[in-house]
Amino acid sequence: MALIERPATRDGGLVPAVVTPSSSYGVFRRPVETKGWKSWLFTIDHKKLGIMYGVTAIFFFFLGGFEALLIRAQLATNEGTILSADKYNQMFTMHATTMVFLFVMPMAAAFANYFVPLQIGARDVAFPRINAFGFWCFLFGAIFINTSWFLGGAADGGWFMYAPNSSVPFSPTSGIDFWTLGLQITGIASLTGAINLIVTVINMRAPGMSLMKMPIFTWMILIVQFLLLFAIPVITVALFLLMFQRNFDATFFSVEAGADPLLWQHLFWIFGHPEVYILILPSFGIVSEVLPVFSKKPLFGYPLVVFSGAAIGFVGWGVWAHHMFASGLGPISVAVFSVATMAIAIPTGVKIVNWIMTMWGGKLVFTTAMLFAIGLIVQFTIGGLSGVTHAVAPSDTQQTDTYYIVAHFHYVLFGGAVLGIFSGLYYWWPKMFGKLLNETLGKWNFWLMIIGMNLTFGPMHIIGLQGQPRRMYQTTDARAGEGFFNLNFWNLVASIGSLILGIGAFLFVINVFYSHRKNGPAPLDPWDARSLEWMTASPPKEHNFDAIPTVHHLDEFFHRKYEDRGEGEHHEYHQVATAEDVLAEQEANADKHIHLPSPSYWPIVLAFGLPVMAYGVIYNIWLIVVGGAIVMAAMYGWGLEPATATPDDYDPPTPEGGAELEVAHG
Amino acid sequence: MSERPSTPRRLAHAARLALLGAGALAISACAQDAPQDTWAPEGENAQTIHNLQWPIFLVAGIVGVIVMAVVLYAVIKFKDRGQPIPEQSHGNPIIEYTFIALPAAILAVIAGFTVNTIFDLAETQDTECVINVTGQQWWWEYDYPVAADGSICGYTPSNAAAVPLITSGQVIIPTDTKVLIRGTSRDVIHSFWIPKLNGKRDMVPGRVHTWRFHADGPGIYAGQCTEFCGLSHANMRMEMIALDPDDFQAWLDNQLEPYQSPEAGTLAAAGEVTYVSQCARCHQVDGLVDGNGDPIVSAPDQWVYSGAAPNLTNFMTRNTFAGASWDLLTPACRDEVWNASPEDFGAAYLKGVTPECLNEIDLKEWLRDAPAKKPMYADATALLETDGKVRGMPNLGLSEDQINELVAYLLERK
Repeated sequence: MALIERPATRDGGLVPAVVTPSSSYGVFRRPVETKGWKSWLFTIDHKKLGIMYGVTAIFFFFLGGFEALLIRAQLATNEGTILSADKYNQMFTMHATTMVFLFVMPMAAAFANYFVPLQIGARDVAFPRINAFGFWCFLFGAIFINTSWFLGGAADGGWFMYAPNSSVPFSPTSGIDFWTLGLQITGIASLTGAINLIVTVINMRAPGMSLMKMPIFTWMILIVQFLLLFAIPVITVALFLLMFQRNFDATFFSVEAGADPLLWQHLFWIFGHPEVYILILPSFGIVSEVLPVFSKKPLFGYPLVVFSGAAIGFVGWGVWAHHMFASGLGPISVAVFSVATMAIAIPTGVKIVNWIMTMWGGKLVFTTAMLFAIGLIVQFTIGGLSGVTHAVAPSDTQQTDTYYIVAHFHYVLFGGAVLGIFSGLYYWWPKMFGKLLNETLGKWNFWLMIIGMNLTFGPMHIIGLQGQPRRMYQTTDARAGEGFFNLNFWNLVASIGSLILGIGAFLFVINVFYSHRKNGPAPLDPWDARSLEWMTASPPKEHNFDAIPTVHHLDEFFHRKYEDRGEGEHHEYHQVATAEDVLAEQEANADKHIHLPSPSYWPIVLAFGLPVMAYGVIYNIWLIVVGGAIVMAAMYGWGLEPATATPDDYDPPTPEGGAELEVAHG
Repeated sequence: MSERPSTPRRLAHAARLALLGAGALAISACAQDAPQDTWAPEGENAQTIHNLQWPIFLVAGIVGVIVMAVVLYAVIKFKDRGQPIPEQSHGNPIIEYTFIALPAAILAVIAGFTVNTIFDLAETQDTECVINVTGQQWWWEYDYPVAADGSICGYTPSNAAAVPLITSGQVIIPTDTKVLIRGTSRDVIHSFWIPKLNGKRDMVPGRVHTWRFHADGPGIYAGQCTEFCGLSHANMRMEMIALDPDDFQAWLDNQLEPYQSPEAGTLAAAGEVTYVSQCARCHQVDGLVDGNGDPIVSAPDQWVYSGAAPNLTNFMTRNTFAGASWDLLTPACRDEVWNASPEDFGAAYLKGVTPECLNEIDLKEWLRDAPAKKPMYADATALLETDGKVRGMPNLGLSEDQINELVAYLLERK
């Protein structure tokens, strides 16, 4: 599908590819609604799916945040009793699982889905139905994992789920089974999404957009999709082995049968370390869009930012064992991974320098989006530098599994990934919904989050260096020390900080409701932006662009609005067109026939079969047959379904239906 | 876009906060007060790590401050004050290459020192004392092997032939001695960590890992299991006790003294009977014999999933119990030992637990209902997956009389 977006007429060279029956399924109609709940449930529009990814991810952000607040409440005093040891272990396992797999990854998928096609001047992704399937896999997988709370308790082995502690004798509830199976399902979302976006970016860029004229966000997303493409299979293998270990008496991790528990660690971290870059690179892409816009300058050293992103993507595969410096790998492995880990700091540092140089000499406007972007530079730098201190393996043997590491990765992931996501939300909100978010509330949102995160995670540096290990449901006064570094005091500070952080983050939700009630339509180009996604209506029409633009520059939109009237070495930019002018020109030259693939029942049905099968693995083998039947039926339905709806699918039937020409893809 | 508050001022404030944080980090180098402080080395291995880490923290701190200062400067200086649209410059190769080369050079230096230190800390040829360490949910067992020359940890017992010594919770080493521990685990992965003496090393079932220890002076060095090991991970602690050579010799001789049954008719004698009927299934007391004079050998492998339970032969020579989670000493007596001067420490520690100093409250609570005190998998209904074997100590349903007898009996185990 979806390659049918070029202007064509019946005699324009493309031939009808599929002879279709009178209605797509013979018996019942295909969903063709453009409004109402059906238009969301069966949509294959990348923008709707992007919004659905985003809404779900933000829900899980607050769920994971709630879990975090419970953890901090438990640790506010040294012998907290809010959570039992068992519940505490479930809580930190699910906090990490939720934030990594159910918030940051799908949030990046939300932005990628929504903005990659817009940024490259395409009308949808390459495989729209697979895109929808991916979303439903994510949603059903996420719900599936979380139903474990009500079915005997959630996974309690930590998100790293080290063997053999993850085996049945050590974790007899079904929590880890839910975790294992659920993540296999959400993994399908990541994997299909990766293939979809790679194909989209490689094949569907607007005319003239060479790879080095591609917006930087799309570049980072492309790199992330390659990381996903290779990392998700590794974790899937590991999850598959664990599923067989727990459910079918396999002995992959049974020490008494000769297994080496370090196998799991290698599998997990070969996925787990690229995963870190999967989490952070989309946000790097976002701030690399935001900083130039609000500095009124192009991204400094664009090629270097692209190449450093790619370098991180490559080197990221060679550093996994730095999570295992205390595992007993032997000095040669430790030395190699220690040095490789330091090497990856170089391309990361390049990005920091390029961002600062982008602002340097600019014309900075401190919108909320810009504040979050600058916040990322500062906070991520702290996390990056503490990262260097434990790239040094001997020093890491003191720090690993203490709160110092917790501090480090929260500065990297919260200060990096999450601040970047918020920057993107404020920046792109008017594009997605046609409404600006309130800037005053936005600034409260930003400052409370910054203060909250530094109060929460800052003290963890001290707590960790003073020797408090992670993952302990209680600590003892006897090991707390006295005076300025008293651990009880700093734990309390961190807990108070987490409350401020929680309030700060929740202001975003308040802002959304407030702004949608109070604000009128947003201007077409509120930020004086630079890239293609702003060259269309807000929110964009279903087909994105009336006319596919031809690209001549990196920052195409900027160059359509501004003209250099300087002479020789002297440059002088003058605005020659407004966004409205650019859009009007596009509308005047609109493509005559625009074709979009039609909605479909099958992605959601197919995805629904998977958790049914997963429940079967845990509870009753016959459920697998039921789920399998659903999956098979959906596959046949999908396979036999034409890309676009036939006239009889419409009520009343249209003469053309949705289909006129097609190039069937998938 | 409508409102433009004085953002630079706020950012300046944020930067000040960050500086303060960095300062606090720097001060933490001088803190002496937390028992698990990673910046207060008291032995050569921890010192080696520290010598490597503090300059790196310093460099990282300086870089961080510079980055923040530059961001702050840029934010103030280049704020939109109506200046014309800036030069649309796409980069500057000199700046870009400089900032690749500069961090690369700094990191290359750090890498050199790091690799050297990694190999130094992996050295095993200079070992003077070997101790075996085994982790299980949720306590550590230590056993002191007998060398070919009949010595234990480099010391020859004065009064008895050396036999392997088994203890738990607190591991005793001689001061100023290069100790090598050989560690493994009986169930899941645990990690052995005494921050003031060395970093941590995972103890993995099916593998034996070595790790160096060395203490400059006598004292108690606190540690904690640092690899998440299940339900009671938080309650799996350990202490390394360093004793001067004479004191270590005294400790060793005491450990090898033969078993003495309590005097007949005492509460402790009743305790011995209770012990045999209630505890001896899992817990070993070396030298204990039955009515026929045959040694009573515990069989924890039949009852406990890890196959081990702490050896109680010299229980009251240690001053903590249940994975070093609770003190056997009352708070006042505990302070006397923990705060003893280096000269007095050995004598204070070797006193062990006297009846006046016994922390009866925690010990009795433990005997009354251990899983209520320390979360463990000890409820038979929850043990379908382990063939009914417990993970941790179950509630034995002891009467108060039995508990009193057992406490009296245990008090003599020293």
